[in-house]
Amino acid sequence: MGVFLKPDTSVKLGRLELKNPVMTASGTFGYALEFEPYMDVERLGAVVLKGLSLKPRDGNPPPRSCETPCGMLNSIGLQNVGVEAFIKEKLPRLKRLKTRVVANIFGETIIEYAEVARRLDSADGVDAVEVNISCPNVKKGGLSFGSDPSGAAKVVTAVRKATKLHVMTKLSPNVTDIRVMVRAVEDAGTDSISLINTIPGMAIDVERRRAVLSTVTGGLSGPAIRPIAVRMVWEAAKAATVPIVGIGGIVNARDALEFIMAGATAVEIGTANFLDPASAIAVVHGIEEYMRKNGVRTIKEITGAVN
Amino acid sequence: MSSATIINNSRLGGRFFRLSLRWKCGGVLPGQFVMLRVSNSLDPFLRRPFGIYDFSGDVLDILYKVVGKGTGMLSTLAPGTDVDILGPLGNGFPPAGKGKNPIMVAGGIGIAPFYLFAGEVKEGKPSLFYGAKGRDEVALLKDFKSRGLKLNIRVSTEDGSIGRKGLVTDILKERLGEDSVVYACGPAGMLKEVSNIARKRGVKCYVSLERAMACGIGVCLGCAVKTRKHPPASAYRMVCSDGPVFNGEEIDWGCF
Repeated sequence: MGVFLKPDTSVKLGRLELKNPVMTASGTFGYALEFEPYMDVERLGAVVLKGLSLKPRDGNPPPRSCETPCGMLNSIGLQNVGVEAFIKEKLPRLKRLKTRVVANIFGETIIEYAEVARRLDSADGVDAVEVNISCPNVKKGGLSFGSDPSGAAKVVTAVRKATKLHVMTKLSPNVTDIRVMVRAVEDAGTDSISLINTIPGMAIDVERRRAVLSTVTGGLSGPAIRPIAVRMVWEAAKAATVPIVGIGGIVNARDALEFIMAGATAVEIGTANFLDPASAIAVVHGIEEYMRKNGVRTIKEITGAVN
Repeated sequence: MSSATIINNSRLGGRFFRLSLRWKCGGVLPGQFVMLRVSNSLDPFLRRPFGIYDFSGDVLDILYKVVGKGTGMLSTLAPGTDVDILGPLGNGFPPAGKGKNPIMVAGGIGIAPFYLFAGEVKEGKPSLFYGAKGRDEVALLKDFKSRGLKLNIRVSTEDGSIGRKGLVTDILKERLGEDSVVYACGPAGMLKEVSNIARKRGVKCYVSLERAMACGIGVCLGCAVKTRKHPPASAYRMVCSDGPVFNGEEIDWGCF
């Protein structure tokens, strides 16, 4: 019998080492500090923060979200305090956290994306930027760049030039062939790729004969989209040379393991943070337990097990 | 989040229920709410917010109306069942202050947060104006009457079955004094009207708002309401973490 060893849950996104593969998804975890009453945030591999833009954004008019079968639609519209207020008010407190801090960035123009990245680069305390070219809920920027390979590449090239930080690019599922997008952002210099962002969706209030959301359409998230996300992560992982971060409806460790076996190096927990603020920690524990039970010593042993 | 055990879950009349949970927490403020998971499955998907009706040490009560799948499932849960609970959440009602008379204006199930609040009013002459559709909803007043509170209760029903026939705002218009502070909870249309009446008389008015919400802790930004505040701060405030109680004058009612 072998000696009992604590499984090694650490993973590497390029040169960025995480203590475990569990991250949080942008827009579902605030600026991480909000979750301190509910969990030990430092147990996570990384926290990915609410999307930041150059200037503060009001967000979309209400109603902004609604429940759907095994999921929800949202159209928040990237309401945020802006990168300067973030650096001044949130970052000093985030800096002391013993976990990786990933800032999600957004711009209405390519110049704005690059400028947000540049400001974060010179601020101490951010380990990586996640480039959001996949938000379906804004009129300018977001998905308008992420739905075609040349737009995506332009944004990533500009961000790459603006920062030495790890650059992760968050892709939309709303494309014909995800492999084309993967290659485009790789060629532009991204260090890793996260996917999927929400899937454009819509719900109608039949009594009032109008769309439930003020913006009519929104982004669908939650377990309802998980099989689509697993499939796209599997496709992306086979096409990619950089690490993949899997996102889409993960609520427990088994869900996370699906993404890892599909080829993801790490995962992001999103909507599940709303069901239970400690969801992400439960995923960390669950992955450790799975590894112990199944004699898995490192995450790498099971990464891309299904190929 | 923690676990609470159902002690009692019984129908008060019509589609209205009272749920008692054994649950320990440090204390609650009148006007705060909790979020319950009515099922361990993913359907319904999100927690449901409920205003706190009563709290005494280790028993929490809520009142709820069965309106859909979530509350329907909640109504079938038997004593002894454990439910996942998150809270207490939100800000609660501020006190009326010295020399002020609190007027609580409630519509339907919106009466829930006033039970705890009425019990904590220490100053002034408190009133409760209650607007109901009909007899079923008036059953929710029973506790208020039996508790021996020094509370001036006025009732209106839309069908005229009990109390005055009409809307609760008619009562408010007649009885609103300049020394009052208004507290309102109920449908958005009623809150808007109550807020307008108070504003015209120069009386402070607090409204407890309701919105579908996902997280309850201010991170999903889904339960936004529009306020009259302008840049640099966003005009939007979150019902869960900035509210649920707001100064009525701050709210841009066009967003409802």
